[in-house]
Amino acid sequence: MSKPTLWRTPTRLSRRLIAAKQPYRCLSCSFRLAQEQAKQDAKTTHFGFENVPESEKESRVGAVFSSVASSYDTMNDLMSLYIHRLWKDRFVRSLNPGLHPTTATTTSSSSPPQPQTLLDIAGGTGDIAFRLLSHATDINNDTMSRVIVSDINPAMLSEGKKRSLETPWAGSERLSWVEANAERLSMLDDASIDLYTVAFGIRNFTNKQAALEEAFRVLKPGGIFACLEFSKVGNRLLNGVYKRWSFGAIPLIGQLVAGDRESYQYLVESIEKFPSQREFVGMIEQAGFMVPEPAWEDLTGGIAAIHRGFKPV
Amino acid sequence: MHIFLGSACHPTMIAIKPCRALLRPPSCSRLKACRRLYHSYEHHRTPPFPPTESRILSAALSHVPTHGFTTAALTQGARDAGYLDVSTNLFPAGPFSIVNYHLVTQRLALANDAPSTDDVLNNVSQNIKILAFRRLHANKAIIHRWQEALALMATPAHLPTSLRELALLSDELLFLAGSTDVTSSWYTNRGGLAAIYASAELFMTTDRSKDYVETEDFLTRRLEEGEEIKTFIGGVGSWVGMQAGALIDGLRTKGVWI
Ligand SMILES: C[S@@+](CC[C@H](N)C(=O)[O-])C[C@H]1O[C@@H](n2cnc3c(N)ncnc32)[C@H](O)[C@@H]1O
Repeated sequence: MSKPTLWRTPTRLSRRLIAAKQPYRCLSCSFRLAQEQAKQDAKTTHFGFENVPESEKESRVGAVFSSVASSYDTMNDLMSLYIHRLWKDRFVRSLNPGLHPTTATTTSSSSPPQPQTLLDIAGGTGDIAFRLLSHATDINNDTMSRVIVSDINPAMLSEGKKRSLETPWAGSERLSWVEANAERLSMLDDASIDLYTVAFGIRNFTNKQAALEEAFRVLKPGGIFACLEFSKVGNRLLNGVYKRWSFGAIPLIGQLVAGDRESYQYLVESIEKFPSQREFVGMIEQAGFMVPEPAWEDLTGGIAAIHRGFKPV
Repeated sequence: MHIFLGSACHPTMIAIKPCRALLRPPSCSRLKACRRLYHSYEHHRTPPFPPTESRILSAALSHVPTHGFTTAALTQGARDAGYLDVSTNLFPAGPFSIVNYHLVTQRLALANDAPSTDDVLNNVSQNIKILAFRRLHANKAIIHRWQEALALMATPAHLPTSLRELALLSDELLFLAGSTDVTSSWYTNRGGLAAIYASAELFMTTDRSKDYVETEDFLTRRLEEGEEIKTFIGGVGSWVGMQAGALIDGLRTKGVWI
């Protein structure tokens, strides 16, 4: 665990960045349980365990990620005990992005398929995007597919761009960056995306259901929604250990790494508040997706889970 | 898979659970499930796969003779059916989905021309033979790829599904052949018949005779030995276990990823 780079000096981007406040129209935060709560007070949503006005959540989430942007990787490493890299590998490999090589001589009447457009939402650090491109290129020999990375937070995006310089995709046309709220992807046409990924992002969204519906809109028929997110641990013993770890140790690590205990407290609490696997499947279906069997895949006993939805043709 | 009935039952090998499911009297919930299946058969069955999945999988199956049970076949199937390459994400089990589709649809197809009531009354064991051979014939078009399917069925992730499907096939054969005797030998038969069918299926992958007459002979002999069914299962168990191991190793060396 003693990696010297872990303790690099924190930068305080957050102090300089004032996240834009935007008016927000949605009435409830996504999941059903919360909807009932929301009836009592239509204008609040949760920010970690605090309830805050919806209009404020977006900017407060913004502040969290601005403040942790540069130490984000370190944080992820510690928070997931380094496992998040394995999860991300597993996530991307299981999605098998890129056009698949097939012996094209077969009788299929269909014309050769168009290059894929992959969308990585809340893609901040580029972690998923780089993996998508590598898989498509190295495994499937597909050198045409493109990835659009989108994030609400400019600080996270510039961190990702900076990191892209160390990858083969620096300056490539196959990689582009867009600042947008996942709940309103107005820059994207209907039915324009083959694969929509969101890794450790959706729990931060103010209105998760709206984001799912937006995913449905931008996906082509036959396209796939795929989500990697912290989840509910099935095993009670493991759950107890993990909770103790996350509530106790992680904010402290956060303080050491980024000098910002509050932001990490938020991260931990937002994980705790995220719906269970089963509830989340319900939300995906509600947005119009078909959910394949098995409905999700637990990683490391359910600390994280992969969910997929299929947009019917 | 079918071959792995044996392997799973062998004490030194995996999966005790699926084995029990095959060989021990079922819990009542399982019994109910069986009854319901037959009941619905008498009226009409709901399609086993949702329409989208059926379309892609049946198209994929038509690519198996050339591509084998592979992701490539699945992708071609998706394209043929008008879907995207990423649509194959609909099948987290990958190429095994094609195998499973074949097993389920062919099992259900048996009911389409089941023996008439008169035949049923006449000779149950003759009927079983006819039906089992008919089911084997349904593998003809893809028999040169069937060892790939067996290898996929034997992977730990898919073994429970495969064994369950084998048990269902056994039930179906017995039911359609007119063996409705639930109380006495039904479940002994079920395990024994599953083992016999599984070994005949494996035999067929190497049978080069015309119209698979050798497979038919093999099947006939095994069924006639049915009297000594208990020792037979033990014997087949270890023999099949060995075959299975060798089969997977063989395919691995050929570069099939298992
Ligand atoms: C925990 S990070 C995940 C980053 C990256 N996907 C990964 O796995 O390493 C969460 C990201 O979600 C972004 N985010 C939060 N709310 C968002 C929203 N409403 N729309 C788009 N992105 C959002 C944050 O800016 C942050 O970059």
